[in-house]
Amino acid sequence: MIKSQRINVFQYVPFLRGVLRSRLFQPVLTISTLFFFTLAIVTGLFGTPVGNRNFGIVFVWIVWWGLLIILLVPFLGRLWCAACPIPVPGEWLQRRGIINRRKGRLSTLRWKFPKRLRNMWLQNFGFLGVAIFSAIILTRPEVSAWLLLGFSLIGIILSILYENRVFCRYVCPVGGFIGLYSLMSPVEVRVQDPQVCATHTPKDCIIGNEYAYGCPWMVFPGTLERNTYCGMCMECIKACPKNNVVINLRPVGSDLMVAKERRLDEAYKAFIMLACALLYSVVLLGPWGWLKQWANMDTLPHWLAYAGVFLLANLLLLPGLFTLTALLSQRLGRIQLPLRQLVTDYAYTLVPLGLTAWIAFSFSLVFTNGSYALGVLSDPFGWGWNLFGTTESTWMPFGSALIPFLQTGILTTGMLFAVNTAYKIAGQHTPNPRQALRGMLPVTGFIMSITFAFLWLYLG
Amino acid sequence: MKRELVTIFIVVFILVGLPVGVFLYQRQQSNPDSAERAIHIQAAVPESGGFQPAAIQVNAGETVTLRFSSVDVTHGIAIGPSLGIDLGHVDPGHVKEVTVTFDKAGTYTFYCNTWCSPDHWRMRGIVEVTDPNNPDAIPTAYRDPIIERLVAEGVNIDANVNMGMADHPQGDTLTFEQPPSIEKGQILAATLSIPVELEDAEWRLSHTPMEGLELLTDQNPSTPMNDLIHVIAYLWVLDTPSEDIQWAENYYNKNCAACHGQTGDGNGPAADQTAESPVAFGDAAYMFGMRSDVLYAKIRRGGMGTDMPNFGTLLTPEETLKLVGYLWQLAWQSRAG
Repeated sequence: MIKSQRINVFQYVPFLRGVLRSRLFQPVLTISTLFFFTLAIVTGLFGTPVGNRNFGIVFVWIVWWGLLIILLVPFLGRLWCAACPIPVPGEWLQRRGIINRRKGRLSTLRWKFPKRLRNMWLQNFGFLGVAIFSAIILTRPEVSAWLLLGFSLIGIILSILYENRVFCRYVCPVGGFIGLYSLMSPVEVRVQDPQVCATHTPKDCIIGNEYAYGCPWMVFPGTLERNTYCGMCMECIKACPKNNVVINLRPVGSDLMVAKERRLDEAYKAFIMLACALLYSVVLLGPWGWLKQWANMDTLPHWLAYAGVFLLANLLLLPGLFTLTALLSQRLGRIQLPLRQLVTDYAYTLVPLGLTAWIAFSFSLVFTNGSYALGVLSDPFGWGWNLFGTTESTWMPFGSALIPFLQTGILTTGMLFAVNTAYKIAGQHTPNPRQALRGMLPVTGFIMSITFAFLWLYLG
Repeated sequence: MKRELVTIFIVVFILVGLPVGVFLYQRQQSNPDSAERAIHIQAAVPESGGFQPAAIQVNAGETVTLRFSSVDVTHGIAIGPSLGIDLGHVDPGHVKEVTVTFDKAGTYTFYCNTWCSPDHWRMRGIVEVTDPNNPDAIPTAYRDPIIERLVAEGVNIDANVNMGMADHPQGDTLTFEQPPSIEKGQILAATLSIPVELEDAEWRLSHTPMEGLELLTDQNPSTPMNDLIHVIAYLWVLDTPSEDIQWAENYYNKNCAACHGQTGDGNGPAADQTAESPVAFGDAAYMFGMRSDVLYAKIRRGGMGTDMPNFGTLLTPEETLKLVGYLWQLAWQSRAG
């Protein structure tokens, strides 16, 4: 049934397989983004400290962010991870090359990454660590540049210590939520026939061969059922001697129903992302200037209070309220499942809601501030250059009248999708549709409350 | 292998060539002519450090391009004295520049002339212009005959002086129900006997209108004193060219109005942030007891402990006198309050 809902893209666009099998595919992406990444670092460190006149701020936190959350993640899942320039210096060091497949194992110290950390918790705390400084990072080019450089440095160090993309898989704060939200993506890298993989003992996709490296994300494509940890680097497509790995189009959000791989660390990622979207909307888009100042560390006590409330809301308040909701659902639906597991399962209803909330937030951010990009294209450092004659272009919010409609539309879509997901998840734990319906009611209430909170914030 | 090498070259080019290229391009942009130097000066409110760099060195006769950018709020950039450079507003992240040749050795000041923060008046930087033949000698002080004369006279410039009104026997009988009118004064002056001192600009510089009124009353005893006030108003702005007034009004509005008020009411938007209440030049009664040379000295030296900054490093003596002339205009227009 599920298979029948997939469309193998290679069948309709045969040359795509050739493109993705080329060893040039990923380097072309990463070297292109490395150019902009380097420019963002250099402008951040040496350009004007005025955020909206600095390429490093405008192109990273407005242009890239907008592309990522509005287009890439919803439509192409983790494809950004294949193009991301941050981990590539480390990866190139491991591989002792950029394009070609070098013989032999990766050059690392071959340490074993601790089992306890092989999950999303580091990414959760890393994201929160960055999030509490976000008002500063998003506006101060130098801080932003050091943060990006720091990520790259951590990537290099981890690549020296461990094999493969440990940084991307377990550490990168951005990769965590891209992974979670890529569950929604209508695109996937999957094997056509798992039986082929089961009987193909060499497992080229894991250990690599003369054409490709073994999966850098430490995933076995043969049993891959969700997008979360597939970095879409296409090494498995290159490696598979049976041409069994393909790109599929599929119904949006298909991965949400894969019950066996649901985990608390991912559930917490969903809580954190939703809470952050709500808090960012309050702090960065809301009318409370004093709150923005607190987040901007006008005084240390103010910022500490802000950070404390921020962390509390993310780690206790929202998960706590959601746990109460799940408890209510458990009672109403007479669901025979431990509460912890039920909370974890239901948390996946917050994936569509969180993603659409971030898209709605980003509409405001990108449409309102996108015009800054024209100015910094011509004068990326704020040094008075005028490379393309657009330096003096004025700030002009785009589609101000349209934004509330887009936000309402996307949030409503997310809410309906989330409610539908809640019903399906409840149905996975009870065979009785009426019980499932009763069980989903509290979760529906929670989802609707959060949606209305967003709508109230955006529409006033 | 060739493909790999080309890729490595591209990567190295991005990681090394891009930053190096940027700085070479900036150097070339800053230095279109090898003989001309460009200096980038970043402006921030004084609470965040003011101008960076706050001092620059230039050789006399050297042509330099000064590029100002703001990193926080809108600033106004001017350079003085005597250069007449006013770049207007510099918005955050934008750059404005001026190419200037400093002919003479000395110290010039670049400063903000748009109220930008409570410490706005401290927002200054200096250009030290040295004679390449004698680089150690920068003229830093010069004689100011007006101030020297005040000091010799024993006038305490730093005190809140109002000379003449209180001491004058008729000082408290004066009323200013009608603001002193320059036009009325001009008509009346044609019918009166004007003491020779009052027609002497030098005398008026060092005396108060009250003292002038005393002389005028002595010579015209039958004319009501409130009529003579108009004549004094007229005499105190005598021979002031209109272009000087225009220049001074513009300068006053940019640099003084924030505290003293655009109408001279002493109640500008920043008036409540100064250590002492700013003087109301539009208060005719107050100005009747004030001397031009004292106003001149206060403008040039600043007011000790009052938050009144010195303008002596920004204005030439001649420019300062133009500004004083405008203060009398404010006084007689009596727009105070």
